[in-house]
Amino acid sequence: MNRSVVILILALMACSLMLVYSQQRSRMLYAEKNRLEVQENKLNQEWSRLEYEQRELSKSSRIVDIATKQLHMKEAKQDKTIYVKEMAK
Amino acid sequence: MRVHHTSPSNTVVLRLPMWRSRLVLFIMFIGFLALLSRAFWIQGPGNDFYAQKGKRVERVIALPSVRGKILDRNGEILATSLEAKTIIAYPDTIPDDLPVAKVSAFAKLLKMNESELRKKLTDSKNQLYLRRQVEPEVAAKIKALAIPGIVITSEYRRYYPEGEAMAHIVGFTNIQDKGQDGMELSNDEFLSGKDGQKHVVIDRLGRVVDNLGDIQPPRNGKDLQLSVDSKIQSISYEAIKKAVKDNRAKSGSAIVLDSYTGEVLAMANYPSYDPNNRSSMTGDQLRNRVLTDTFEPGSTMKPITVAISLEKGLIKPTTQFPIGHLQIGKKVITDTHSYSVLSVSQIIQKSSNIGTTRIALQMEPEDMWTMFQSVGFGQAPKIGFEGAVAGTVKPYAKWGKLDQATMSFGYGISTSLFQLAKAYTIFARDGELVPISMLKVDKPPVGTRILNPRTAIDMRNMLELVTQEGGTAIKAQVSGYRVGGKTGTAHKSMGKAGYASNKYDGFFVGIAPISNPRIVVAVVIDEPTAGSHYGGDVAAPVFSSITGTALRTLGVPPDAGMKELVQTLDPSLTQKVALKR
Repeated sequence: MNRSVVILILALMACSLMLVYSQQRSRMLYAEKNRLEVQENKLNQEWSRLEYEQRELSKSSRIVDIATKQLHMKEAKQDKTIYVKEMAK
Repeated sequence: MRVHHTSPSNTVVLRLPMWRSRLVLFIMFIGFLALLSRAFWIQGPGNDFYAQKGKRVERVIALPSVRGKILDRNGEILATSLEAKTIIAYPDTIPDDLPVAKVSAFAKLLKMNESELRKKLTDSKNQLYLRRQVEPEVAAKIKALAIPGIVITSEYRRYYPEGEAMAHIVGFTNIQDKGQDGMELSNDEFLSGKDGQKHVVIDRLGRVVDNLGDIQPPRNGKDLQLSVDSKIQSISYEAIKKAVKDNRAKSGSAIVLDSYTGEVLAMANYPSYDPNNRSSMTGDQLRNRVLTDTFEPGSTMKPITVAISLEKGLIKPTTQFPIGHLQIGKKVITDTHSYSVLSVSQIIQKSSNIGTTRIALQMEPEDMWTMFQSVGFGQAPKIGFEGAVAGTVKPYAKWGKLDQATMSFGYGISTSLFQLAKAYTIFARDGELVPISMLKVDKPPVGTRILNPRTAIDMRNMLELVTQEGGTAIKAQVSGYRVGGKTGTAHKSMGKAGYASNKYDGFFVGIAPISNPRIVVAVVIDEPTAGSHYGGDVAAPVFSSITGTALRTLGVPPDAGMKELVQTLDPSLTQKVALKR
């Protein structure tokens, strides 16, 4: 009789400690998840910003401007173009 | 002394009196009672104070949603939302003895006057928005100043990489992220997201440690893909801008349609505005003239008139008409040159008003009216764009003979450039009219048959003559491609005051390549004042440059050999080609 009470008390104590531990662990993990979400958000933002920057640099009006003014390029007229046709098999 | 006396007295010394233990018990009872009532007080009526304390570790965190992007047909970004910071001040928590250097640095970062900032901070008691949509780099510098009572929060700002070239199509949003114009307005619901929030517990270091349920996740807006090709759009805008400046015109517009799919590939207007910086906008710049402005289309209407007559079997392209002198009532119909006899093809090629009138007067007014209706004149296009206008077509029952005559060459009827371009798709598509879309089309749409394929092919051949020797629009030629189209030069209607003798609209509406049409391009130059005002001189060259680039961009193989090529835009190159032979 006494013995089983002692065992149950020990088990109860162990359970209580486990509860404290798992609560702590859940909080840590939640904090971690949250941190990662914030990071994900930041990275998404960064990606959007870079995507925008890339677009800004690659837009055709800028390319035409640089090609004609800085590099003195000209549009390939038809007399300088060879059109290649795929051969029918 | 007797023992009897001593022994009880001994016991009395050792035993404490009963009342003392009772007293202790009572005091302990009171103590417990105090604890109990305190506990009751804390749990019950007096718990506000502790609840307040507890709230300090609870936070409601807003989860901002992002507005969807707007993309062009190739997935290039036309509008995107990037993070921007908002600077908020809580004036009652800002210390009064803030160093002067800090305040002036802060004012500088806010682009504010220092005294103005001080006044703002002392006058107000409540939370104060100092500046919105601050770039993240500037916000970081403000944060580094570490002024108590200054809080930085995040929101989004809309950016438009294509700027003024795409402004009229894409539109813009206001500071609350709501669409105000263009596709931003007409597709606002689709693009908008919904902010979420969560209720959490934070620890002493500000880390989120627990979630108190009721999470509302944010719903981001969806991305919208338009039918526009940003390269063709950019070229169209530059071409229109140049033409308006060169011709010292009031404004200019161009539209490019894909006649296979009915998609709008480009829609450009000048003057325009930069949607990234809207401080200097006026209503005039905001109008997407392709859709919102109507005009009398002048001679660009002639192919429609001729097509009806061909379709009814009244004429053939080779049918000869005597031109001579033509008077209807008191009104004399005039041409820029006088001709004695012209075939139907030549009437189109030379743009003869008299010839077109003679063709029109053989027809029933109802047939003409039905045709105008079926190609979309007089009806607002269903294109999902705010402010698209219908133009006017008088009901045929009210037409007099003169009305019928003038309408045949494009006076007394009004359309937008969009409607005109759409109408020409019947020639490009062997007689079918397709629904026009501003959004990318996945599968080719089903067209409505308006003309027999034979009529459409005859019309295309006539339209090609316009761009050849003897036509009104040699400047419309595109190197490497056979093109066709029709010029128009219309006196501007001044409403009741009649027509302005010295104000014109110059048009060109064309199709390319003629052998297997892929695009329809319409151009209008409004009030050209630097020299020629003819559509063939002011609008046809714009058509040529837009069409050349658009066809190359779309990868359309050329259909004209070198021998058929006449270089008119670059004389030096023509010489070189000639020398080589």
